Amino acid sequence: MKILVAVDQYDYSRHAVDEVAKLAANTWANITLFGVQPKRAVGTRRAAELKIVQATDGPLPEALFTLHREFLSYFDGRECPYAPANAHEKLTEVHKGVFELAEGSGAARKKLTIRMRIGNPANEILSEAKEEESDLIVLGCDHTNASGWENAASVPRKIAGSALCSVLVVKKKRDVQRIVCCLDHDRISQPSLEMINQMVTLHKAPLTIVGLTDHQALKTEVEKKMDKILRYYHARQIDPWIELVEISALESFIARETRWGLLALWMGKQSILTKALPRSKVNQLIKGGDASVLILR
Amino acid sequence: MINALISLNADLASSIAFRYSCRLMKFVDMRLQAMHVEEVAKDEFPPGSGWVRSTWEKGLLQAAQEEIAQLINAEKPHCAPMDNTIIRIGNREDELLRELEENRYDLLLEGALNAFDAQHFHKKIHSKLYKYMPCPILLIKNLVDPSQAALIVGDIEDVHPLVATFTRLFEKTQIKLDLVFFSDKPAGQAEIRTRLSEAPHPLQQRAAQVLDAARGALAGHGWTPQDSWVVQNKPQKIGEMLGDYGLVGAYLPSAASRKHFAMDLLSRIPTATLLCKP
Repeated sequence: MKILVAVDQYDYSRHAVDEVAKLAANTWANITLFGVQPKRAVGTRRAAELKIVQATDGPLPEALFTLHREFLSYFDGRECPYAPANAHEKLTEVHKGVFELAEGSGAARKKLTIRMRIGNPANEILSEAKEEESDLIVLGCDHTNASGWENAASVPRKIAGSALCSVLVVKKKRDVQRIVCCLDHDRISQPSLEMINQMVTLHKAPLTIVGLTDHQALKTEVEKKMDKILRYYHARQIDPWIELVEISALESFIARETRWGLLALWMGKQSILTKALPRSKVNQLIKGGDASVLILR
Repeated sequence: MINALISLNADLASSIAFRYSCRLMKFVDMRLQAMHVEEVAKDEFPPGSGWVRSTWEKGLLQAAQEEIAQLINAEKPHCAPMDNTIIRIGNREDELLRELEENRYDLLLEGALNAFDAQHFHKKIHSKLYKYMPCPILLIKNLVDPSQAALIVGDIEDVHPLVATFTRLFEKTQIKLDLVFFSDKPAGQAEIRTRLSEAPHPLQQRAAQVLDAARGALAGHGWTPQDSWVVQNKPQKIGEMLGDYGLVGAYLPSAASRKHFAMDLLSRIPTATLLCKP
């Protein structure tokens, strides 16, 4: 599993890293801590050189180093699959506009990459996820400020709406009391089920699986799939609740359920949820409420 | 021993209900008889009553038998052995009522998936089956652990029929029991979820009268509840709180003034609910 953690230098990114550290401890995923330095106008070679100096020296690189140490500190006293932090923290340009921290010495079974690019934050995050074939993008956001990023408000919504992989938008550090999953049951993928399983284990929270219905009935094939999902979780000692929701009542249901702390939505290409919850509604969901949102793709 | 009938269809609700019943049988002495009614619309019946009709019925019964056997066999390793499933053709509610009356069952179990829209539940409660059922019904909405039960009481009139039904069914079981007094939250008042001793006045007084009566009635049958809770909230929130229990016993009140709130609450309980009638 490859997780891309998109961060900036603000507090909400620490919550995201904290969440990922817990996830990484369970999954031993390959992790990329990724920051984007917003692009400034450059005209001359000298200015370009200056840009590199600025890029590797500002608050964002410092935040990346801090988050890197915080991520690793989660493994204090636990078995750590990642290389320890390098005493000499410095980003070096590995490709044009791409900066990386040299890996620390020591045996590492999994990759932990600290990377920074220069450019438009949302575009660079999306490109990085695509190039690295990430399975999941995790990013925090300021839930008190329309759930945006400090210097690029729309980043969480753009990533949630446009990423090709799953996206977890972490709102703030809070107890997840229940995980509510709206799944398109006849299309849900195995990795998505695993992801939900991870979230349940991580938060030690009960799970509700929502069955979307049309006039109080589930289609036979959807029922069969849901039965399989139930058995999948029962085999893992998880007893999810099932709740039926009319497609027409989905919005009001979601509005009610955000209080539990984590809402997972299966938004695959052909998902019925994509039709029932257009992008504007998903944006609204990320913008309002204080529940973290996991978009599964 | 509880003589119980479980209504099964080849669907998710029945699969959950059956698996829950198997779990319940680990805690209570229960003989479980499965029954499936194959409902056929009037215009689907073949004409006449001779060989054609009987062959058609046999085929239908066999197909239904196979479907239900598949559901039961999937749980065989986790469930006590059962008698052959009763399969009938006809109106489901009529056939179930007939079977319940003829063979004097103590309990009917059936599955119904928990729904955001309470209409489905209300429809069920007002159905012919629920109206004329000669025994209590255990409505199973989710697969939960039945080891922890709660009896919910909102009024003194709930106590005796509920306790009598519960103790008659679940005598000598390992199930742990709590008592919960529930009350609607009037506008402007606080949400309350507390132990009886910590409840504010005058709610505490009202709750104590009901809970003491319930404790006394239970003691007469050898039951000692672990805890007594007082909850004052909207039905949705009380229902969610009751989700911590794997079995919730409730009395369906007859008074219209309380019926609306109680029905709303019952529709919001996401676990297995034992419905006791007057």
